[in-house]
Amino acid sequence: MSDVKTHSIDISAMQRSQQALRIEDESVCLSVNDLHLFYGEKEALKGIDMIIPEKKVTAFIGPSGCGKSTLLRCFNRMNDLVDSCRITGEINLHDQNIYAKGTDVAELRRRVGMVFQKPNPFPKSIYENVAYGLRIQGINKKRILDETVEWALRSAALWDEVKDRLHESALGMSGGQQQRLVIARTVAVKPEVLLLDEPASALDPISTLKIEELIHELKKDFTIAIVTHNMQQAARVSDYTAFMYLGDLIEFGDTNTLFTNPSKQQTEDYITGRYG
Amino acid sequence: MKMKKKSVSEWVKSGDPWVWLNAGAVAISVIMVIGLLLLIAVRGLGHFWPADVVEARYELPGTQAYNIVAERVESVEVPAAQLREAGIDIPDHHQLMQRTLMKTGNRDIYGSDFRWVIDEYLTDVKRPEMLFTAERHEWGNLYGYLKSVKQDGQVVSETNDTTPTESALATWAAFESSIDRATDIFDEIHEIEKGDIGKINYGLERIRLEQRRLELNGELTPAAVADLAVERSQYDEEYKQLQQSLIDLYAKINRDTFVVQAMDGTVHELPVAKIVRAYRANAMNFGQKMAFYFAKLGEFLSAEPREANTEGGVFPAIFGTVMMVLLMTVLVTPFGVVAAVYLREYAKQGALTRIIRIAVNNLAGVPSIVYGVFGLGFFIYFLGSGIDQAFFPEALPSPTFGTGGLMWASITLALLTVPVVIVATEEGLSRIPRNVREGSLALGATKAETLWRVILPMASPAIMTGVILAVARAAGEVAPLMLVGVVKLAPSLPLDGNYPYIHLDQKFMHLGFHIYDVGFQSPNVEAARPLVYATALLLVVVIALLNLAAVTIRNHLREKYKSLEM
Repeated sequence: MSDVKTHSIDISAMQRSQQALRIEDESVCLSVNDLHLFYGEKEALKGIDMIIPEKKVTAFIGPSGCGKSTLLRCFNRMNDLVDSCRITGEINLHDQNIYAKGTDVAELRRRVGMVFQKPNPFPKSIYENVAYGLRIQGINKKRILDETVEWALRSAALWDEVKDRLHESALGMSGGQQQRLVIARTVAVKPEVLLLDEPASALDPISTLKIEELIHELKKDFTIAIVTHNMQQAARVSDYTAFMYLGDLIEFGDTNTLFTNPSKQQTEDYITGRYG
Repeated sequence: MKMKKKSVSEWVKSGDPWVWLNAGAVAISVIMVIGLLLLIAVRGLGHFWPADVVEARYELPGTQAYNIVAERVESVEVPAAQLREAGIDIPDHHQLMQRTLMKTGNRDIYGSDFRWVIDEYLTDVKRPEMLFTAERHEWGNLYGYLKSVKQDGQVVSETNDTTPTESALATWAAFESSIDRATDIFDEIHEIEKGDIGKINYGLERIRLEQRRLELNGELTPAAVADLAVERSQYDEEYKQLQQSLIDLYAKINRDTFVVQAMDGTVHELPVAKIVRAYRANAMNFGQKMAFYFAKLGEFLSAEPREANTEGGVFPAIFGTVMMVLLMTVLVTPFGVVAAVYLREYAKQGALTRIIRIAVNNLAGVPSIVYGVFGLGFFIYFLGSGIDQAFFPEALPSPTFGTGGLMWASITLALLTVPVVIVATEEGLSRIPRNVREGSLALGATKAETLWRVILPMASPAIMTGVILAVARAAGEVAPLMLVGVVKLAPSLPLDGNYPYIHLDQKFMHLGFHIYDVGFQSPNVEAARPLVYATALLLVVVIALLNLAAVTIRNHLREKYKSLEM
């Protein structure tokens, strides 16, 4: 049991020591059925079928333009903002089709939070950034806000750094702090799923490490889906990994197996660096 | 080593000519702006300085010599031939002659207050200390020597001296205290006439309108008539009392007179009540002149105009300008922002929105007088008379909103400036990074919530830029205003102590129109000219201050919403 205490120091070592995970044993959080997505005439996702397991970290890897970010943005219907985008198939969040007519998209996005590649804090104070989602829901009681803001900032391992300047502008923080603030902001509304779209790609290695540790902590409470360009990162933080290529889901399985013993030639080529 | 001579083409290639050209263009622009400001500042601000009054003999060849007492206004060189053509007998050896415009004042005595003299024939120029200048409520300035001061026709103090002897100074002192007393009484009269009686008239008018309204609605019961009659008699009672105190004050103010000797030696007895202030410019030292200067400048900024706008202050015009611009801002900002938000955020981008954008941009180029015509035709004649019939039938046939006024002027200018606000706001909205919008949407905010809580605050500096441009354009606009509510003299300010305090239907004064009126419609153009410059300078200052306020707000907002360029 000693490895529980040391996981933050050597995540990859711990993961390798874990027993192989089996996707069949997991409870399903999100399931994707025959999802096609078109940008105008171009088909960007060509029939994806997969599940995102509950309270686990699922990583999406693949070369640029393979559709991994697009797929991620389908989970909270962010693609609705693109005018020419058209979707067929379905995605179920706990047996509820999020593309069904009459779905409350704002409610869906509250349940499925998203963190973007570039930190995008609002030009407000640190406190107001975290409280934003709550205020949107009409929660304005100071005591609840205070508690939630502290809890969210602690969850994002940011509390100690900012507790003395909660009411200063969030734009004065470093990039890494800003990204953790965005995570805190997302966590504050207590979503069921966290979508991370290359959350560390704009950060320095130390900030990246902090984000990775954070992901490991957060998966106790949230289902996490992460898109990353960095295969080591995927190997370090995820339980399951999906490899995508040109709009197809090539291979999906537990991270250990996929990296050590991929079943598809394309996967092996990619993770060994032969293309991508 | 041999210095290589640069060829012209190399010089051109080096880019130096461009630098010179660009720097030259900037320099010329700066010089022109500074020159403009300096010109109007010097001409306008010089007006308030107490000019020396000279006394001299003036003898044109072949005419009778006479005495002249006047302020120098300006000098020009004119060809002698031109003067000869005018019938003045000038010796042949003169080519150019210096000609000076003298302000002789005393319009009631001579018929005009300015005359041109040729410096050559001006002799024996003196600046006597006892020569005084009196500004009057009518007839312009008076220049002369004080002979005596009388109370109820009895001489209180008199002198025959034109030099500062004891008796002359004693008479002057008596004159000054008499003026002080008269101006105090004058202020009292003014207060009663403008303030108290104005309020009574306003109340009586409201009673009349109320009665008419009841009559039109068929609700005019005898009881109501009696009530109104009681109210009216209260006002009448008050009015009678005020009337009595006015009669007393007028008797008091007309007690004193003074006798003055004008430059032609004639002696005139005039009432002290007509005098605003009197001073002996030649006897003043620099400090006294400075004090006088700032007193005059203060009067210019804070007093009402006198004498067909050629004397006194321009306060009602400043007030009207600022109020109209503020009202315009309050109207144009929400309207422009809402329109821009729809165009940029909600409307489906396509041919239609492109056409609308082009139309909006072209709207900014429509000559302002066209907006004036539209304001008159649509707002005043159509909307205004409709409002009158619906809400103010009791006042008809005299129009309430069916004539030009503060509200219509503000709305017309708001219409004139709305394209600027739309364009600036749209630009601001388009500059907001997409990931900030997505960040808000991803937290479960709807589009409207995102707009209100994130997008609009972040776009506020751009909105303010639009407002700044709108203010700059609206504050300087005169042409449309002449059609929709500006007048040369408004009897009262559009904001006062009478319910409902802001009188949107009232006509108002405006600095821009004031310049035009004083400069070109004035009965006394020469006297008004310095005021044209002073008012122009003031208009520039007012616009600059309004802009400065807006710029300060914008910079504050910019600092607050520094955009996230990472």
